[in-house]
Amino acid sequence: MKSALLLILVAAQQAAAPAPEVRFIACPVYRDTDAGRKSGCWLADDPASGGRYDVTSAPTKPDWNRAILVEGRAAAKDAGNPCGGTVLDPVRVSVLDQPCTRFMLAADGYAGRRFALPQRNVRPLYETRTPPSKPFAARTITVPFDFGSSFITYQLSDFYLDQAINYALDVQPARITVTGFAATDHDRVSGQLLVEPSSLAKERTKLVTRSLIMRGIPAGLIRESLTHRSTPSTDPAFDGLATASLRRVEVRIEPLSTPKISSDH
Amino acid sequence: MRKAGACALVAATALLAGSVGLRVTAADPPDRWWQPGEGRVFPTRLDYADPTGVIRVVLDGGPMATQGHPFFTAIGPNGRACVTCHQPADGMSLSAASAARQWERGGPRDSLFAASDGADCPSLPQDARASHSLLIDHGLIRIARPWPPRDLNGKAISPDYKLEVVRDPSGCNLDPKWGLHSADPHISVFRRPRPVANFKYIEAMGFAYDPKAGLPLALDPETGKPVSGNLMADGRVPSLTWQMRDAAGAHLAFARKLDQGDIARILDFERHVYVAQQRDDRGGMLDADGAEGGPEQLRISKPGRLGSQGVPVWSEFAKWEKPDPQARASVSAETLAFRASVARGARIFRDKTFLISDSAGINSPIGFGNPVRNSCVFCHNMSQMGMDVAPGQVDLGTTNRPFADAMPHLPLFRVTCLGKPHPHYGRVILTHDPGYALTTGRCADVGRITLQSMRGLAARAPYFSNGSARDLRGVVDFYDRRYHIGYSEQEKQDLVNLMSAL
Ligand code: HEC
Ligand code: HEC
Repeated sequence: MKSALLLILVAAQQAAAPAPEVRFIACPVYRDTDAGRKSGCWLADDPASGGRYDVTSAPTKPDWNRAILVEGRAAAKDAGNPCGGTVLDPVRVSVLDQPCTRFMLAADGYAGRRFALPQRNVRPLYETRTPPSKPFAARTITVPFDFGSSFITYQLSDFYLDQAINYALDVQPARITVTGFAATDHDRVSGQLLVEPSSLAKERTKLVTRSLIMRGIPAGLIRESLTHRSTPSTDPAFDGLATASLRRVEVRIEPLSTPKISSDH
Repeated sequence: MRKAGACALVAATALLAGSVGLRVTAADPPDRWWQPGEGRVFPTRLDYADPTGVIRVVLDGGPMATQGHPFFTAIGPNGRACVTCHQPADGMSLSAASAARQWERGGPRDSLFAASDGADCPSLPQDARASHSLLIDHGLIRIARPWPPRDLNGKAISPDYKLEVVRDPSGCNLDPKWGLHSADPHISVFRRPRPVANFKYIEAMGFAYDPKAGLPLALDPETGKPVSGNLMADGRVPSLTWQMRDAAGAHLAFARKLDQGDIARILDFERHVYVAQQRDDRGGMLDADGAEGGPEQLRISKPGRLGSQGVPVWSEFAKWEKPDPQARASVSAETLAFRASVARGARIFRDKTFLISDSAGINSPIGFGNPVRNSCVFCHNMSQMGMDVAPGQVDLGTTNRPFADAMPHLPLFRVTCLGKPHPHYGRVILTHDPGYALTTGRCADVGRITLQSMRGLAARAPYFSNGSARDLRGVVDFYDRRYHIGYSEQEKQDLVNLMSAL
């Protein structure tokens, strides 16, 4: 696991020296900025450093009554300071089952961010989709999850789940293998032990399988593979956030009629 | 006689197309109330006065003879038809004013007040007005849901919450025959009839997923096909066909199943009927001078589109923002002022943001955040219709304390979550109607109510599923209190004017 983490770091460094990964647990603070819809700011302080971070870019936004796990990297310098904290981007927020006292700050001169539709968004059914061209390749599509959760995150996980389903539908007949992972290794963050039960890997697997079947993929073509100890993934779904990548489901789609060409992986 | 009627229905295979050519006579317009079995002809266009103007019903492919038509004919022994509670003059719903009028005219003899659900409880003395107070004063129909909840196959769901009666003004929840502790346990909640119109939109699927559930759209067990998930306050039926059977059993006391012929005819009618306000007393025709109000636009528009990625919600009235000189010259100052107000109302609906908090379906479990800054259009996001493109079960607090207005006339229940507490209310919730939780059996869904379509509002007060907003101003005031919006008096009036023009 250590070496895999190192590999990711090396790979990421080759692109541009990335900021180190920041991880902590904190009670979120909402800053009531108003630059139109969805423009409020979410802040959280790392208890270890006392640094205040802007976690607004996370696909899952916080709930002001609950603690959050923050996993992110400081954004490039030109990210500005629209909210009153060091901007984390990429960043993931997981809402934890721990109560917090809700707290809201006034905008205090901060502008917030105008909402822009995230790149990862599911397209409507009425939009025509370009089907993949032949020969169909075997592909693995990875669906990320928040800590402790099997909920399909809006404008992140749903985007990848939809890709997997569409590809599986487009390249029929295909063999599909669904493999779930959970972060089952003991992990200490901000003094708290964070461990996912191994049953969560199974829950995630079942959820993705169920989704595939609901969208019309024959159950007989789907194999749920045995889940095992999670290692980090370099899949783009994680934007290089190694610990977030421990929580995922991989959907392997292998077209049956064409020779197997491995693309990703 | 019922038998003969049923045979006629089976024989009548020609649907709408077969009825073209019928004529409607202009002389002596029939009463605005449609009684079952009158055999009127449903014209292509039907206009009725309502409190602020004229509501128009368009029957695409009409006119249609209603003689023997199962929507218009009493198919059960209680003398009611579907049309009894889905009246054209009330935007294919039922206004409380019409219910009161029917009581004045016929009292308990009118089949609308049938004991099964047109009374506060069937066990009450049916001749007394007080026994029908919820229908007469609030336009509410008794909806009896099985307890514990059952799935579509009738299998009991084991709920993750306990349900207790705190207050029971109708007496029906503690009634030995009808109540929660009877041999056939049911919970009675009281709801407004939802309009039977514009189903092209209500059945539309904009996306393949229900983001509020984090799953693909639910499947209709009968067809195996996905459904929009936007029917009924509690989402208990996946399709119009299921709804019809539910209605025939519950409202019409119809013992046997509707047959295929009946179902096809009702479906055909439902899918061809459109409703919207057509004229406003002050603003004139709502499709005049470049505006696109009225039902004709609904008939021709594409359904299920997100306003934020296509035609902005209520941009029907955009042309009234800056009327051209010709329009300016041809109408009165009062008309111009009303139109400008409607156009502003549309902007306020889309653009005036506020903090939405503790509303399950929006603030949880989907990751929009709690709170999230947004406007009316966040939830009411479908072009032309103002409903939710996704399955729209959201808890505004219309039925849950402390957000719900005081409603001493409604039952109050105590829900205790047995597993995880509710994400916003904690372990104990006081509710007048658990809503979606009566379908799913989950305490996290208590008070989630399916968004209605927003057309033809002027003709069908009161509003919200439990009728808690007496008028459109009441709707705006509720939101203003609930989310601390701070609308100005002018903004409130603009929103009211907009909604009265839909
Ligand atoms: C006694 C009054 C009554 C009668 C009669 C009645 N309905 Fe309804 N209808 C209602 C009520 C109340 C609702 C809303 C129920 C809820 O939300 O739980 C409703 C809802 C509906 C809906 C759902 C609309 C939506 O957008 O969710 C449809 C469709 C419908 N009715 C069709 C029918 C048909 C078809 C018949 C005849 C077979 C019928 N109704 C008879 C009262 C009635
Ligand atoms: C958080 C989501 C949400 C927002 C924001 C929202 N609504 Fe609603 N709206 C709903 C839901 C859910 C219902 C159904 C509630 C019920 O019937 O109890 C509803 C119902 C309504 C109705 C009643 C329709 C009927 O047939 O009775 C009107 C009118 C309405 N909303 C107008 C507005 C206006 C005006 C705003 C902005 C001030 C607004 N809504 C903001 C979710 C929302």
